[in-house]
Amino acid sequence: MSRDTIIQELVPIFRDVLDQPDLVLESKTSASTVDGWDSLAHVNLVVAIEKKYRVKFALGELQALKNVGDMADLIEKKVKKS
Amino acid sequence: MNEYRWTDLKVGLDAQFETAITEAAMKGFAEISGDNNPLHLDEEFARNRGFPGRVAFGLLASSFYSKLVGVYLPGKFALLHGIDVEMKAPAFVGDRLTVKGQITHLSDPFKRLEIKAAIVNGEGKTISKAKIRAGVHEPA
Repeated sequence: MSRDTIIQELVPIFRDVLDQPDLVLESKTSASTVDGWDSLAHVNLVVAIEKKYRVKFALGELQALKNVGDMADLIEKKVKKS
Repeated sequence: MNEYRWTDLKVGLDAQFETAITEAAMKGFAEISGDNNPLHLDEEFARNRGFPGRVAFGLLASSFYSKLVGVYLPGKFALLHGIDVEMKAPAFVGDRLTVKGQITHLSDPFKRLEIKAAIVNGEGKTISKAKIRAGVHEPA
C-alpha cells in the first residue's frame, strides 16, 4: 500500500470529520492549511483512522507528524506490522 | 459515582441504570429549554394527535446519556466530547427507562473512548440509540 493510496483512502475520513465535502488532501496538507482542523477534530481524525486501519497510535508517534504525508507513512508502517 | 481511570477501561465494559420521565423533569426541561410545544405540555393536545399522553421532550429523554457518561462510564473523570442520537420512538411522562452503554473503542493517545448506548422503555421498546464520544481527564 503506497503513500498516495493511503492518502486517497484518508480523503473520505477527513471530509466526514471536518465536514468539508470538497476537501482535497495532499502530502503537505496539515492542520495549519485546513480550516476547522482544530484539536478536537484532530482527536476525531485519529480515532477514525485507528478504526479504519485497525491500528493503535502512541502519543509520541502522533506528535512527530507534520502533515498528511507523514500520517500516511505511519499508517503504512503500522499496517505492515499488524 | 464510578471513578474509572483510563487504565481501568476495556472494550466491552458496560453499565446501565434505571430512571423515569417525571413530571418535575418535564416542567424543568420546559423552563430550561424554552420549548413550550403543547405536544409536551398539553394532555388533550397530545391525545388529539393520536398519542396516549404527553410526549416527553426528546432531548430530556436523551439527557440521560449525560448521566451514563458522567456518573457511570467512565464516571468522575469524564469529559463529554459528543453524542450522535437517533430517536426511535417517543417516551411518555411516567415511563420507566433503562439506560445502557458499552465501550466499543479506546484510543490511547488522547484517552478517548467511544460508547454504544441505548435507552429502552419498560416494555422493552428502544426509545433511542446513541454513539457517544468522551475523554478521560484524570488527575496526574
